[in-house]
Amino acid sequence: MSEAVLSPAQLSARHLTRHFTTRVPGRFLTAKRVVRAVDDVSLDLFEGRVTAVVGESGSGKSVLARMLARIVTPTSGELVLEGSPIPVRSKRTLDYAAKVQLVLQDPYASINPVHRIRHSLERPLLIHGANKGEVETLAKAALSRVSLDPPERFVDRYPHELSGGQLQRVSIARALCVKPDVLLADEPISMLDVSVRLGILNLLRGLCDDERLAILYITHDIASARYIADETIVMYAGQIVERSRGTALVDEPTHPYTQLLISSVPDPSDPTSQDPQKREHATFEVANVGCRFAPRCPFAMDVCRTDDPPDFIVGEDHTSHCWLHASEPEAAVEVAPPKRRREGEPTKA
Amino acid sequence: MSADTFDIQAVSPMREGPAERKGNAVANVERSEFVLEVNNFSVDYGVGENMVRAVNDVTLHLRRSKVLGVAGESGSGKSTLVYAMTRLLRAPGVISGGSVTLNFTSRDDEKEFTTLNLVTASEKELRKIRWSHVSIVLQSALSALNPVLRVGREFDEVLKTHRPDMSKAQRRARAVELLTMVGLNDDRLARYPHELSGGQRQRIMIALALALDPDLVIMDEPTTALDVVTQREIISELHDLRSRFGFALIFITHDLSLLVELADEIVVMYAGEIVERAGASELYEAPRHPYTLGLLNSFPPLHGPRRELSGIPGSPPDLSDLPAGCNFYPRCPFAMSRCENEAPALTAIENSDRSVACWLHSSDSSVPVPVELSRTVNPARNPVTTLKERP
Ligand SMILES: Nc1ncnc2c1ncn2[C@@H]1O[C@H](COP(=O)(O)OP(=O)(O)O)[C@@H](O)[C@H]1O
Ligand SMILES: Nc1ncnc2c1ncn2[C@@H]1O[C@H](COP(=O)(O)OP(=O)(O)O)[C@@H](O)[C@H]1O
Ligand code: SF4
Ligand code: SF4
Ligand SMILES: [Mg+2]
Ligand SMILES: [Mg+2]
Repeated sequence: MSEAVLSPAQLSARHLTRHFTTRVPGRFLTAKRVVRAVDDVSLDLFEGRVTAVVGESGSGKSVLARMLARIVTPTSGELVLEGSPIPVRSKRTLDYAAKVQLVLQDPYASINPVHRIRHSLERPLLIHGANKGEVETLAKAALSRVSLDPPERFVDRYPHELSGGQLQRVSIARALCVKPDVLLADEPISMLDVSVRLGILNLLRGLCDDERLAILYITHDIASARYIADETIVMYAGQIVERSRGTALVDEPTHPYTQLLISSVPDPSDPTSQDPQKREHATFEVANVGCRFAPRCPFAMDVCRTDDPPDFIVGEDHTSHCWLHASEPEAAVEVAPPKRRREGEPTKA
Repeated sequence: MSADTFDIQAVSPMREGPAERKGNAVANVERSEFVLEVNNFSVDYGVGENMVRAVNDVTLHLRRSKVLGVAGESGSGKSTLVYAMTRLLRAPGVISGGSVTLNFTSRDDEKEFTTLNLVTASEKELRKIRWSHVSIVLQSALSALNPVLRVGREFDEVLKTHRPDMSKAQRRARAVELLTMVGLNDDRLARYPHELSGGQRQRIMIALALALDPDLVIMDEPTTALDVVTQREIISELHDLRSRFGFALIFITHDLSLLVELADEIVVMYAGEIVERAGASELYEAPRHPYTLGLLNSFPPLHGPRRELSGIPGSPPDLSDLPAGCNFYPRCPFAMSRCENEAPALTAIENSDRSVACWLHSSDSSVPVPVELSRTVNPARNPVTTLKERP
């Protein structure tokens, strides 16, 4: 781990924030509501490492991935690619697109159904300046890298002639064609058959270990994050609520939301995981002031309703965005920079 | 496969003497311990050269008040099975063989034990049992609820149709009661479906399914589209409702771990066939079919050391191009030569209450059963009792 920290990150996000203003039609007036889809998220993607981002739907994972791919413009914050700050408000360059590739959830939606696989692989190569003579060889090489062997059997097929797992491999191959340094995979297995999911996870892990790619693995399945991640990040309502090296936060979750997430996973091997007691029903209310999880949190205190907690250190390379950890001796250091207060938020006492 | 290779014998529910034929139903029969008996049931899509068999020779029997889990990846025929069973199947799907018998107590004045073959039942007979005796909850609650109706109207319509004896006030009271049962506030009755979260809509579907106190509820991937926290809440809710009302449940999902927690018995489907049937904890702790083992090993664990798992090699089967022998042959790590051309039938395993369709367990097999597929259940550790305390 330490050598990885020494080498600079391939891609860093600094305080990335994206708000959306939506109109909520009311009975008489249309109200404006600001959705803080991603709020002050910082992360580093290193070569040869898988960083997993876990969260339920709506937690901001896809918006984050799209900002990292520069498909969505951040409201604020910056990106640093291989040490150079990127002017995020300008148009995405071809060079950036080649270095940072995004793989989406549904391969049937992301691969053009009317063309043969060959076309889907060769097109990005041509766009990125490969010459006509070499594209076929490069396309086939990409298929081999994702274990679609022999590639001759796949290049001339149409997407509907492949299974979901095979087509997701094609979409990973397409991303790999242009030799990216960073692969952003947004829920790459959630639409696939159970039996082929591990194959894709093992493929991603292999690309990371053998080809030193920096990988962001986005998922709602915390067990799959535990399976492949070198760093794990849990998001709730646009914020990072807990992060740890490896999978420490899965083995010893410290944030009440992470704990809720883990205890909800069906786990027949753990008799205590099945809590027959009826839980309070989830409210999906996200607090505007204070800790966003407070309306659902069984431990919420007064301070939680007024002040957004900072990130507290709860272990080695392990932080928790929760006031419960404020009084712990080793947690006296606040790692997060003081939060910029948003309008309407009460001043900290 | 013939029915007698299956280890639960089909009980004949008929009483000698005064049983009374009413259309396709037979009334005044002896009360069966099974609420549903499916025998040698097959379903095809299309005809002629393009025909594919989506459900092949399925036999399963469900006892009253029990939970049957149906597991299998997408395309294995789970939805086709339940749609066809309840006669909701649309063209080009056709039932090509077998019977589906529902045993229930009629709701009319006579309260007779009745048995009805759903395959041959008329639309009129089906209307009588749908919702009252069998109800279905589908994966997508958004498409199942009428978008232009307030939730309250949806309840009102169902009750009006099936319980003409109820007054408007009684229907409203029942709707409130049903919502409370699934943990929702009655102010939801005034809402439109799009104003509710996915979990709330699915709760409403469950409440609607229970509106007429059915004997059997069928749920097709009811939680697949939901987040894990909401799924957990709905599962414990369901457990609660079952112990209060005693309906039998068929629960379909691709998530075997979820079924192990919820079901009494599990059937695993592959390419339209049942490849293994066993009690939930037996299946989890001591799988017998290589596909079941593969499925169990496809879920990364939340505990213990991290180690590489292999999942299941190859691709899910293509129904229009199935292998000659065992359907799992191209992906099976234990395949033997006979598997290539001979299809194994679902067969009872001796001295047990479970069956498997795999040559490894055949009595004439000369190959020793691999250790992974011959584990015994550890009686000291039954991990699945908490959600299922049963009388
Ligand atoms: N284009 C958009 N306009 C308005 N709101 C959006 C838009 N895209 C995303 N959101 C909102 O941002 C939040 C995060 O969305 P998303 O990143 O897609 O979540 P996830 O991928 O974790 O499920 C959600 O509340 C979503 O409704
Ligand atoms: N309308 C249809 N026409 C043709 N084939 C169909 C149709 N519906 C489903 N099938 C096929 O039947 C098989 C079983 O599908 P389904 O019952 O939906 O499986 P599951 O619910 O297990 O995912 C699949 O191979 C599917 O392609
Ligand atoms: S800060 Fe307070 S409300 Fe938020 S998670 Fe921690 S204890 Fe719960
Ligand atoms: S019959 Fe043969 S191929 Fe089929 S599951 Fe058993 S061992 Fe594998
Ligand atoms: Mg998303
Ligand atoms: Mg289905």
